[in-house]
Amino acid sequence: MVISENASLRVSRQPESGGELSESADQQVSLPSKPLIKIRASKRWTPLDLREIWAHRELLYFLVWRDLKVRYKQTLLGVSWVILQPILMTLVFAVFLGKIARVPSGNVPYVLFLYSGLLPWTFFTNAVATSSHSLIASAEMITKVYFPRSLVPLAAVLVRLSDFLVASLILFVLMVYYGRAFTSAMLLVPFLVLHLTLLALSLGLLFAALNVKYRDIGTVLPVLLQLWLFASPVIYPSTFVPANWKWLYELNPLSGIISGFRAAFLGADFDWRSLLVSLGITLVLLVYSTFVFKRMEDEFADVV
Amino acid sequence: MNSQTSFRLQMKSIVTVRNLSKTYHIGQLRNSNPTLRDAFVSAIGSPFSFLRGHRHGDGTTLRALQDVSFSVEPGEVVGIIGRNGAGKSTLLKILARIVKPTSGEVDIYGRVGSLLQVGTGFHPDLTGRENIFLNGAILGMKATEIKRNFDDIVAFSEVGRFLDTAVKYYSSGMYLRLAFAIAAHLEPEVLLLDEVLAVGDESFQAKCRAKIKSVSRDGRTVFFVSHDMKAVADLCGRVLLIRSGRLYEGSNPQNMIAEYLDEVATAEAHPASLLANTNESVAPPSA
Repeated sequence: MVISENASLRVSRQPESGGELSESADQQVSLPSKPLIKIRASKRWTPLDLREIWAHRELLYFLVWRDLKVRYKQTLLGVSWVILQPILMTLVFAVFLGKIARVPSGNVPYVLFLYSGLLPWTFFTNAVATSSHSLIASAEMITKVYFPRSLVPLAAVLVRLSDFLVASLILFVLMVYYGRAFTSAMLLVPFLVLHLTLLALSLGLLFAALNVKYRDIGTVLPVLLQLWLFASPVIYPSTFVPANWKWLYELNPLSGIISGFRAAFLGADFDWRSLLVSLGITLVLLVYSTFVFKRMEDEFADVV
Repeated sequence: MNSQTSFRLQMKSIVTVRNLSKTYHIGQLRNSNPTLRDAFVSAIGSPFSFLRGHRHGDGTTLRALQDVSFSVEPGEVVGIIGRNGAGKSTLLKILARIVKPTSGEVDIYGRVGSLLQVGTGFHPDLTGRENIFLNGAILGMKATEIKRNFDDIVAFSEVGRFLDTAVKYYSSGMYLRLAFAIAAHLEPEVLLLDEVLAVGDESFQAKCRAKIKSVSRDGRTVFFVSHDMKAVADLCGRVLLIRSGRLYEGSNPQNMIAEYLDEVATAEAHPASLLANTNESVAPPSA
């Protein structure tokens, strides 16, 4: 016993110097020589613990699996919503901008032009919106169980990525319908998708963390995303932007990615400069967001 | 008791807690969702306070835990008792890594499974079968572990017939049985339980108690937070009493339970002492 027999009540003390404790060799139960878990007060700035995330990859899988499973149980049209959302948006914009405003799309049919922009845009906006809300939606889990908190927004982005993959089938159908050739430039698409995913993830992590503390994020974000649609070459080509404003336009990391996406599918020239600018901004943003997330992570359970 | 004492001294601790403290700022608690506007206002008022890590509050702090130290050997069932707000759950949440301590250290020589609530992460639209996998993963089980224990979990829960029914159609009893059955098959070296036995009928509670005893016989360690002194006396070989964030431990569990019951009786006689663990700090409220 730690406490002497006759003291009925006293502050318990730790049994002698803690440093020597680990050196006692005789043990009945085999315990590891080093602690598996060390709990310390939070440090200021630390990077995201990728090993910890990897150790919890099965939970990540189950979180994605849960969201997909639930969605297809709850909704009447199930999987078709994933395709319908970009299709309906394409139809709306095709009527208003293609037929009425007559936005030029070069030698590409406007419907194809629109869909190839709305497809990555839909992924991006949904991924940012759902991941930003994800931590608040998982408040119960966060206050009751330990796991790396970054799994929650990460799972939200992955769910949207799977939606994107399903919806991209329609793009292939449209390309066949309009008789477009499949070129070797399309080999770049996986890299562009990865690039876009990282951008969505970094914003998702950042807003999810901020949203726990400042709930206004949830109000501001939809407006911000709406504006972002018009600041990106989704419903109009990037050639619309006057040459002397192009530098500013390129600072929007989406402009390089969406133009690149279109170039890969529809065979236009790649704008390498804006793609590189976008990649640079994305990586800086990703590093920044992971540090902010990690710093705020320790407080989530106290605040949410 | 003596033979057990010498046995314990030979062994290495599986959990070591050194000088653990946790302080909450009341301002932060009272207004846990400040708006961006508040943040901007405070950022304009003192632009660099963010760098120093100062939180704006009204200067009142709540010391949920103060300088708590103890260590626990494998196989012990440790009861943690104390009045509401004394700091029991805070201690458990720090051990579970859900919240971070303000200062102090904890070393744990094993995996930790926590059951602070029954059925965490259950999704009402998923079936019992699906929730076993989801909840198992949330509690930290590997998919292979869940598959291996699947039949046992179903048998323990007694909901076999409704395994492919969405859990939103379950009665609350079935829901709890399934949730506890999953948690009962966790295989970590350290298990943290918070009031879980407060649910379910008498026979189910007996089943849970038996399970906890068998977990301890396997050499695994259990922390058990409860207000049910009968359950604590029945299960725990050791009892820690938390009073206003400070930890007390006496020679035997019965003494600690008696201390606690005394304390509750006193508190009922003098309700004002309920506020005793709020420490006003020197700083005046900010204007």
